[in-house]
Amino acid sequence: MKNEGFTRRDFLKAAGAATVAAAVGGVPAKLFGQQQRLARYPEKTELIVLTQRPVQLETPLSYFKELITPNEAVFVRFHIPNIATSVDLNKWRLKVKGNTERDLSLSLDDLKKFEKVQYTAVIQCSGNSRSFFEPRVFGGQWGHGAMANCTWGGARLKDILNKAGVKPGSVDCVFDSPDTPPLASVPDFVKSLPIDKAMEEDIIVAYEMNGTPPPMLNGFPARLIVPGWYATYWVKTLTDITVLNKPFEGFWMKPAYRIPNTPCGCVPPGTAPKSTIPIHRMTTRSLIIEPALKSSVKINRPVEIKGIAFSGGYGIKDVIVSTDGGTSWRQAKLGRDLGKYSWIQFSFPWRPTKRGKYTLMAKATNSMGESQPFEGLWNPSGYLWNPVEKHEVVVS
Amino acid sequence: MKRAVLFFVVASIVVACFAYAQSVVTTGTTKTITLPPEKVNLKPGQGMDKAATYCIICHSSEYITMQPKGTKAQWTASVNKMIKVFGAPIKEDDAKVIADYLAANYGTGK
Repeated sequence: MKNEGFTRRDFLKAAGAATVAAAVGGVPAKLFGQQQRLARYPEKTELIVLTQRPVQLETPLSYFKELITPNEAVFVRFHIPNIATSVDLNKWRLKVKGNTERDLSLSLDDLKKFEKVQYTAVIQCSGNSRSFFEPRVFGGQWGHGAMANCTWGGARLKDILNKAGVKPGSVDCVFDSPDTPPLASVPDFVKSLPIDKAMEEDIIVAYEMNGTPPPMLNGFPARLIVPGWYATYWVKTLTDITVLNKPFEGFWMKPAYRIPNTPCGCVPPGTAPKSTIPIHRMTTRSLIIEPALKSSVKINRPVEIKGIAFSGGYGIKDVIVSTDGGTSWRQAKLGRDLGKYSWIQFSFPWRPTKRGKYTLMAKATNSMGESQPFEGLWNPSGYLWNPVEKHEVVVS
Repeated sequence: MKRAVLFFVVASIVVACFAYAQSVVTTGTTKTITLPPEKVNLKPGQGMDKAATYCIICHSSEYITMQPKGTKAQWTASVNKMIKVFGAPIKEDDAKVIADYLAANYGTGK
């Protein structure tokens, strides 16, 4: 929505210039295809450019060797092109209105007066790993790099809502940012949570990301954090919270960001679900980071298999590892526990004694017993990806 | 000669660092970033001009080029979704030209 104190890219000018560039055909043919392009965006390190506008940047997997992902390496995902590229903190306000006793208009300093809460939580795009779906599905073709593990600090949403005084009969809580669509017909990016969810203890409006203000492309100066749930709800550059006494049915809640209403959130590949519900809690998953996929390790030398595992807010109870394509499994050692919303590092010592191709596998289980399927479950939007990965390496 | 090359390399690094530093500016209480200029990267072919004109109103060209190869029916459905769901201002005959271009250049051949 429109908001004072923000400027946006002049998309028409950009689009016009881009059209000219395309028309004169200034792009070498060898750039066509699936090649990855790295680029450095403001306040970000070199990341994989998925799309330029709306900007979407993916994190190279090597950053997941670390327990905490540095701000400059965290992925970027926008839905509509005219994003906040300039914020004046004198004018930025978090406004709360709707079915409340009173309206609020909070400056960043006001936000900092609420009790500060801090924890580490995985942020993951609903469509992370979509490019691995089979049959393939249209949409952002992410590899595994639309996720990160960061320490967030901010004010409880519940405390903010209580200050405004949520009236009885409230149903949904709606979150908006200054992003605006390119055409009036394109739906504005607005998200909602059921009011009971919004009042949960751990949801915060974060003004700190790993101890500093978030980069502009990750939601400066403050964003919503819904730990355990997919990042579609973590509205960036949050400016408006509206409490409704009826269900919110904006485009980005319905029909977008829905999963099949089945226990697995999946349907037989290539079929349409009978009914859908909004995507919500993250599935349990794990990923081997070292040795890197398709890399080569030396025979008779010890090598440490390392990776990360997380679940939608229930911690990781154990990770088992196989070095023989799933025939035998042994317990991996878990690293430092930063809480139920964080990812945990695992490691497993290995000393291969025969040359050849190996399929390494890791399987995580959370504290509720939820684990990972051996094959990718399918849904038409390419969400919830979490199978046990087949991580091939060569011993030579 | 070597010195000239070295100068060029150093100068390029300085220019690159300067350009990067300029992409984030904080003046008083205002922080501003500048996104890099956009490049369009579409395969040349019949209908590319229409795709470059209309699709690019709302999104950059990777929204096309990153997709898995689609059937003609999938690309037609995708163009129709842009028109019906997102209100892309594309006339019927142009929509067909664009869908044909996408199917021919980013399709399965079916």
